[in-house]
Amino acid sequence: MNARQFNDEGIRQFRQFLAVCRENPRAELPRELLEDSRLSTAVAPGVDVQPSTLPKREDAARLLTQLLEPLGDKAVAQNAGLWTWLSLFFFDQVCPAAGGQRHVKNDYHYVYEPLNPRHSYRHLLFIAWRVQKVAAPHTRLFLSGPLSTLDKMTSEVFKRLYLMRIRCIFEVLERLYWDPERRKPRSGVVDSQTVKRGDLSHRLPIRIRQLEMTYDLLELNADQLLELLGDEFRPGAR
Amino acid sequence: MIRRINFTNRKRIPRDRVRVELTAGQPRRLTATLELDGLSLSGSSAIYLEAMCAGSPAIERFACGDVAHPSPPRDQPLGEIEGENVFFTLKVVDRAEHLGRIEGIAENIRPERSGKEPAPRKSILPIEPRDLGEQLWELEFRQENVFLIVNSRVPGFIDRVHADPLVYSLMYPAIVREILSRAFREASPASEEEERWPSYWLRFGRSLHSENTDPATIEDEEEQQEWIAEVSGAFCKRHRLAESFAAAGYMGGDP
Repeated sequence: MNARQFNDEGIRQFRQFLAVCRENPRAELPRELLEDSRLSTAVAPGVDVQPSTLPKREDAARLLTQLLEPLGDKAVAQNAGLWTWLSLFFFDQVCPAAGGQRHVKNDYHYVYEPLNPRHSYRHLLFIAWRVQKVAAPHTRLFLSGPLSTLDKMTSEVFKRLYLMRIRCIFEVLERLYWDPERRKPRSGVVDSQTVKRGDLSHRLPIRIRQLEMTYDLLELNADQLLELLGDEFRPGAR
Repeated sequence: MIRRINFTNRKRIPRDRVRVELTAGQPRRLTATLELDGLSLSGSSAIYLEAMCAGSPAIERFACGDVAHPSPPRDQPLGEIEGENVFFTLKVVDRAEHLGRIEGIAENIRPERSGKEPAPRKSILPIEPRDLGEQLWELEFRQENVFLIVNSRVPGFIDRVHADPLVYSLMYPAIVREILSRAFREASPASEEEERWPSYWLRFGRSLHSENTDPATIEDEEEQQEWIAEVSGAFCKRHRLAESFAAAGYMGGDP
């Protein structure tokens, strides 16, 4: 079917469904909202979207990047109605039922709020597309997890706008925190309670904040930034 | 606590040395003028003007020549930055070494809109003297303003609150934290439009915050406290409170 974008009333009704589903985890999906012309309009140019199985965030990233290409990145990044409509379209992927029951999380995981920087990156479909757009080819840290949850690694990076402005940051993060032998992120680097040498949650943001007072980090390459970060961040030192 | 490293003697460039004008349109257009004379910056250092918008990771950078031959943007499109709350950073970067060292910086520069005059500034913390017994000061939250009440029993105290670093360096960080904590509790959803002290203070805090983060978007208390800590730190930094405190005659070390 053609992808659509909700208007305000469409978003309101979708939020209403989320509230109902929290009360009744077996509530039926209101698929009729998807094609109700009073609640949404087709995107232009037309985009054909089909039901898909998207177990991992990388599956969604691949599909959405290709699907939304004709709409232009700026327009897509600002389109609250489109992302919210996509959440309902792919609801079985972003909020799968287990034993017939769904566990609906906060609205911002499904309702996209482009003007709210505290919520926008938490939208489960948007963040998959966003990672692909800004971090490729260094996306492994952020795309290897399941689509239906937002992992700590991704949220720790994407909530910090100043990190995202450093052009080499995703290569640096991959070199610091991807474990090539286990083919997954290094463990213990996003512990919210414990501060560890060279960790991502605590030490990296502080070190970057220190360095940006002295160095023009924006245009550095990954080797230069790693050199500045110092011994604490060498893998063997952790 | 974030320890700031400034072992390279980075210079703070006063914001009034940088004037940025934005002209409405699609895209908006940018014109800047720079006045860097007398700041002891190296003539060969490169100048960059960076545009950012509150709540967005986007950044647009304009190369502005070097200190000896500045060439700030003249009627250039601001194509990458969406949103209304645009702010700028001016960096002077020493390119002599392989890692660009910041020689001077002016942060959080607000643009002038074409044809508009800047509004006159007014104090957001009026001070009043009152007999407070043995208490030196307190805050009084009224409907429209918050007041700093200082003890009139202490001769000259009201003047020293403004002028004496040994006094204001100790008082003001606590004052900023207390007012912002209360502003979070009292701000209404439409507070940006209200002419009441929570709006003034949250706007003030936002102007100091390194990410220009809109406090209205912060919901949980822990994040609010992080925001306040960031603003309080920026306040101390802007007014060089520790430096002023030490220079004013405070003697550390032996009791």
